[in-house]
Amino acid sequence: MTAKVEIEFTLNGRPRRVTVPADMSTLTLLREELGLTGSKLACGEGECGACTILVDGVSQNACLMFAVDCAGRDLLTIEGLRTEDALHPMQRAFVDHGAIQCGFCMPGMIMQAKYLADTTPGLTREGMRRGLEGNVCRCTGYKKVFDAVADAAGIDG
Amino acid sequence: MSPQAKGTLDEYRAPATLAEAAEALADGKGTVLAGGTDLMLQAEAGKTPYRGRLVNIRRVAGLRGVTEDGGTIRIGALTTVTDLLNDPLVAEKAPVLAATADKFASSQIRNAATVGGNICNASPAGDMILPLLALDARVELASWRDGALATRTVALDGFFTGPGATVKGPEELLGAVLFETPPAGRTARFVKSGPRPALEIATVAAAIAMTVDGGTLRDVRLALGAVAPTPLRAKRTEALLEGETLDGDLIARAAETVAGEVNPIDDVRATAWYRKHLVTIYVRRLLQDDGKG
Amino acid sequence: MDPIAKKSVIGGRVPKPDAPDKAVGRTRYINDMVLPQMLYGRILHADRPHARIVAIDTAEAAKLPGVHVVLTGKDMPRMLFGVNRDNRPLKGDKVRCIRDEIAAVAAESEEICDAALALIKVTYEDLPAVFDPAEAMRPGAPAVHDEKPDNLSLAYRFDHGDVAAAEAESDVVLDDVFDVHYVTHCCMGTSCAIADFDTDGKLTIYSQTQYPYNFKMDLAPALGMHPGDIRVIQPPVGGAFGSKLDVYPYEPVCVLLARAARRPVKLTFSREEEFINAPTRQPARIHLRTGAKADGTLTFRDVDCLLNNGAYTSWGPTTPYVMMRTFSSHYRVPVVRFHSQAVYTNNPYAGSFRGYGNVQATYATASHMDMLAERLGMDLLTLSLKNAQESGEVSPQGSVLADCAFAECLTVAAEKSGFLEKQARYAAARNTPGRIKRGIGLASSIHNAGGAKIHKSDGCGTIVKLDDYARCTVITGASEIGQGIDAVLCQVMAEELGIPMSDVTIVNNDSAIGPWDVGVHASRTTFIAGNGARRAAQKARAQILKAASHQANMPPEGLDLREGWVVLDHSGEPVVKLDRLLRQMHFQKDSELVMVTDYYEPPSEEERPGHVGDMSAAYSHAVHVAEVEVDTETGEVRVLKVTSAQDVGRIINEMGLEAQVEGGIVMGLGYALSEHLLIQDGRVRNPNFRDYKVFTAPEVPEMDLHFIESHSQTGPMGAKGIAELPTIVIAPAVANAVYNAIGIRFKAPPLTPEKVARAIWDRDHGAVAAE
Repeated sequence: MTAKVEIEFTLNGRPRRVTVPADMSTLTLLREELGLTGSKLACGEGECGACTILVDGVSQNACLMFAVDCAGRDLLTIEGLRTEDALHPMQRAFVDHGAIQCGFCMPGMIMQAKYLADTTPGLTREGMRRGLEGNVCRCTGYKKVFDAVADAAGIDG
Repeated sequence: MSPQAKGTLDEYRAPATLAEAAEALADGKGTVLAGGTDLMLQAEAGKTPYRGRLVNIRRVAGLRGVTEDGGTIRIGALTTVTDLLNDPLVAEKAPVLAATADKFASSQIRNAATVGGNICNASPAGDMILPLLALDARVELASWRDGALATRTVALDGFFTGPGATVKGPEELLGAVLFETPPAGRTARFVKSGPRPALEIATVAAAIAMTVDGGTLRDVRLALGAVAPTPLRAKRTEALLEGETLDGDLIARAAETVAGEVNPIDDVRATAWYRKHLVTIYVRRLLQDDGKG
Repeated sequence: MDPIAKKSVIGGRVPKPDAPDKAVGRTRYINDMVLPQMLYGRILHADRPHARIVAIDTAEAAKLPGVHVVLTGKDMPRMLFGVNRDNRPLKGDKVRCIRDEIAAVAAESEEICDAALALIKVTYEDLPAVFDPAEAMRPGAPAVHDEKPDNLSLAYRFDHGDVAAAEAESDVVLDDVFDVHYVTHCCMGTSCAIADFDTDGKLTIYSQTQYPYNFKMDLAPALGMHPGDIRVIQPPVGGAFGSKLDVYPYEPVCVLLARAARRPVKLTFSREEEFINAPTRQPARIHLRTGAKADGTLTFRDVDCLLNNGAYTSWGPTTPYVMMRTFSSHYRVPVVRFHSQAVYTNNPYAGSFRGYGNVQATYATASHMDMLAERLGMDLLTLSLKNAQESGEVSPQGSVLADCAFAECLTVAAEKSGFLEKQARYAAARNTPGRIKRGIGLASSIHNAGGAKIHKSDGCGTIVKLDDYARCTVITGASEIGQGIDAVLCQVMAEELGIPMSDVTIVNNDSAIGPWDVGVHASRTTFIAGNGARRAAQKARAQILKAASHQANMPPEGLDLREGWVVLDHSGEPVVKLDRLLRQMHFQKDSELVMVTDYYEPPSEEERPGHVGDMSAAYSHAVHVAEVEVDTETGEVRVLKVTSAQDVGRIINEMGLEAQVEGGIVMGLGYALSEHLLIQDGRVRNPNFRDYKVFTAPEVPEMDLHFIESHSQTGPMGAKGIAELPTIVIAPAVANAVYNAIGIRFKAPPLTPEKVARAIWDRDHGAVAAE
């Protein structure tokens, strides 16, 4: 019988307490137990970034993270990024620059972009491109994503 | 995949100290969770089934970070690849580790993957292993013996016994990797196949450490990835280079020697021919101060 | 009130209306959906390419707690579907490829499904297998389908003029074989379906399909149902790119599980399953001979094309239908012979994929033009311009090139990229020292840009409704798969009805509501659905202005709709607010609601026997120039810059247009350089993103896009379809650039580092070039 573990953590600013099997991924916890389907399952192997969330401010592939390891952490998912009144500036930039087509990869892309903008002083365009290397998009060719992130992160040129 | 093949996790522990962690592993029925970037995938694929107890070491105090003490650099097992990329001590004393970290997977994986995990995963293509081999690193293995914490130290060269296999016992925990602080004048470089800047399982990767003493090579260490069942020290090539003058002729002979020293396989990523081809190119580049790849 | 000036939203930069919901994670994709009482389905695929199924033992699986249904092909009649009616939902008799669906389970969770699948015991008797189409054609080769002993699936022929005579007049004849490879769509949302029956036995299927109306027709025979009893709901999807233009077995399997379980069933592929079981682009071996006179005038093309059909027939083996139009219409070619054969093998099989045969054909034609230029000692631009058609020319297959901007595309792309100067400079530097070599390459192609009449109708239905708040609902047959028809239709409504785009709602996700449409394919949706929506809007507009004309005592021609008002056209002076007028029109005895329908049928022809006919209502060209850097030691190719000039007719949504072109180019760069679904002995060797390498962010080159506006007489506001050409043209531009850099011609993409390194090594060591 797989062990079940009670954990407490912060999810999008609110405290949560859940019981999870020891072998469950954080992505499964979010999508199937908590109904937060914004984070996408697209490969389940950490190869595409569609499930990217921030854990204590650091980007992670939720598909690889054990749900039990959420204990005591502060999780931010795409659903928690906007305020009540407005889209987060990164979300707004993705919309306004036309970076969203089918959009399936975009929750992960936006979370990773926010991580880069938050944690990289003097982020360059090249650094941004490198920082997004783990996020696969099949629609956009990334160009509009670069434009959006550069705008929201205040990258020149 | 049959669900049985992934093994079971009927117990969960999240120790706070190294001693508690070692105790949790003492019966050999613990599966260690560190960065977790490979663990779930390998278990689900039946490659390394869960052993019964998930031992989450991520809250063990003192396992994360880079320190220097008495001429020895110590990297805690939970130090992430991103930590290496940003660590000032690494940047000053062992920049090859940051250069390797920069070629490692993706941002999200770098944020999760740990140095200890990359070593214990023992992939023949494990990027971080190569510069550590070149730096003559050793690993500290902790275990619970006779009611107390015991540690032993094992050289990284010799640690790996096959793909995914090491000399570490199931009751042991890799706590840290250590190496002597490279003296001034010691050069170390890393090169990896592209064309992607990082997000590749290396077709071939290579690292070198050497001291160029008035044109003469000393203490050459050459480590190669993805050309053998384990990360490989190219000792014949090292011996060829040792004490010789670095010039075009020597570089050519080194490239020839290394080609004879590796015995790569054909797989989905490359043929043996291409791997040998790349190894000779990389050895030339590492020796020619052209590690950009 | 102040007068209201006329404003246009056409040509603007319009975000997709669904983007905000997607940006906040609110959009409920099909992969995210859960219905009450829903079960999960999984399929047991074959683990071998060719075998008799001797026995399937499902007893243990059926006993597993949580399992509701276990189905095998033995349990059901032979219900055939697919282009050749050669496929079945579950295979009962034999395995023909590793994708084959042997059994399926519906259970309370996917984990229980997997546990159940592991308990199913299948006894196979292996059969000799055949994987190469040339081998499969030989007498005595294993028959993939017992009833087709010669393994022949589909053949196409087009003959125009006398090749022998044309050859006799030619000064140069090029003769080469191009071998183009397997790639797959890699939709970020993996294949998924949810099936749900009501108590009357009517089916609702939640589907990722790109063609909901004919989907019903194609799905019904696999189920033994009447198409009219199927309702297709299209939740948002994570990409499609042509992969959802047919019925694939997982869909009827999901339905059969739901029917047996009397519960909704959801079936989703894992990423590994997606790589192995979703359709691929059609691979092809193209033997192309091109003739020309010394002055560069093309004299003939002679093509033999051999296709690996794989085990079953989806759209892949029909791509010669499009290939032949490239060979006959890409440049002025007076004499054309095109023969193709698709041959069954025990490989997985191909579907349609962005470019639909033209990606493959253009790799050959655009490579050959570059080779021909060198052979004739001409520059490629001069050679191309010499053979580029002008407006009004008719190709041998009957394509009427109205509003043709081919020459302008060539000139603009060449000039903006500095093509001629750089090509000469890089060629001269080829043999100088240095391991990094630069190269520049140019390629072009033609594609249908006004739909493609492959059925009796290439039409699209539209319903436009204006409510009593002057909010507009467009109910269209055209599907949204991420490409952005939603934004275009909002623009068209705003333009014709003088309302803000934010007041337009698009409804296009339910076959019970929407009117008929062929589907999202052939770069047709902006053209066809755009035209239809425009006509519907104009009908609504006429109805409104007629009502207003009574009030204003003014003929309708003197009125206009602007910013939610009826105004005097000449002065912009407001007459009556639109919502007020609509309420007056609606709320009276025997009123006619402003709710109009339109069925737009483009002015194109079905091909007549012999493959002649003007099958599209417009054609378009694109020219790409790629600049690359080749590491001559490792073989790594980096694309530095792509310059594109494309005839778009007229820009409707500039931002959406750019996004389609950029996305198409990057997808095509993967085809050129890194993506290769490795199929060996019928098995997929790289079913993951680690080893199947789509382009990632750091690899993306600078892109310099130029849009040529030829103002199509037939397109909506002058627009042409645009979405496939970028993917079609880029790969040969890259291959030509690599040739310019290192002097080696690659006739078999992708140009992987190993392939390039090996070719250089072989050349430098006296071996014959690898390709």
